[in-house]
Amino acid sequence: MNRRLLTLAVLSVMLVLTACGTDVASDQLQGVVIENPSPKGQFVLTDTNGQPFDFARETEGKLTLLYFGYVNCPDICPVHLAQIAEVFSQHPEVARESEVVFVSVDPTRDTPEVIRDFLDNFDSDFVGLTGSPDELVAAQEAVGVPPARITGDGEDYVIDHAGWVIAYAPDGLNHSIYPFGTRQTEWTNDLQALLNLTESQS
Amino acid sequence: MKSRVKVGLALFSLLLAACGSDGTMPAISDARIGQPTGPNAALYFTATGYGVDDELVSVETHIAPSTELHETVMEDGGTMSMQALPAMALPASGDLILEPGGFHVMLIDVDPLEVGSTAKLMLTWEKAGAQTIEAEVVEPSETMGEMGSDG
Repeated sequence: MNRRLLTLAVLSVMLVLTACGTDVASDQLQGVVIENPSPKGQFVLTDTNGQPFDFARETEGKLTLLYFGYVNCPDICPVHLAQIAEVFSQHPEVARESEVVFVSVDPTRDTPEVIRDFLDNFDSDFVGLTGSPDELVAAQEAVGVPPARITGDGEDYVIDHAGWVIAYAPDGLNHSIYPFGTRQTEWTNDLQALLNLTESQS
Repeated sequence: MKSRVKVGLALFSLLLAACGSDGTMPAISDARIGQPTGPNAALYFTATGYGVDDELVSVETHIAPSTELHETVMEDGGTMSMQALPAMALPASGDLILEPGGFHVMLIDVDPLEVGSTAKLMLTWEKAGAQTIEAEVVEPSETMGEMGSDG
């Protein structure tokens, strides 16, 4: 199966659906809206305390932001996390109802301690997860992102990985995703809108 | 307050640009380094052409033992891929823009850096030769410049 083609097809369909979107969510959200929101993928990884973290269960009822990246990534990973942390510091009422889950796709270099130090640059409440290479691939497939790939040789390898943040509203559904380049105003608007989404619909 | 700083920075950049456009050296503006959050950090800036097609070939700095020229590319399907480049082209009458999600200079095993401090870096251009610049250390959320700001 040509996974890349499949991913492209899925993204294209999502974009078309976005363009045609008319539901409540798409009216309020400025990110890339998913017309038929999907439930959380099921996976269990290890958190920075060395404890198992059952993603769907531990984040139940919370606005959940899921991102796959790695600590040595100096360019886009810090920007996403810093933008979310900025909203949280401005809006503690959003932070209280939210969980940010950063999954490192670099199990060789990113030990739980390294991940913890990295996340503490942004917000010490951000959850950091790691796992075996197989567990990490399974987690990425469970939430529908193309698995990260290692490129380059020796110690200087880099990792190609999905560039977007997946957002689940408190209803447990993935209503929108946030590609790299999302503006700070869009984050601020959407995190509040995602929290209000279930309140207005429940 | 913030906008006043921005205006100040813009004026300063203009002054620098004016000084730099003597026809022998690119003018550099908005030089910034995202505060390191891991072993590596990224340097961004805008270089303005000075009438000759040139190429940035290397960067050296006292704050990192080695550096690489990188480009982040978004592939079909949304995967972000980082590639090392041998050089970055600066057109004779155009800009070479280094910004998050595009070109950057990766500072490998970078020293700890305080937000608001500055660091000196030496750019080496294929034709213009060596050029020393100063970059400000900014919060990771501030590296995007206009692209990510609320303005």
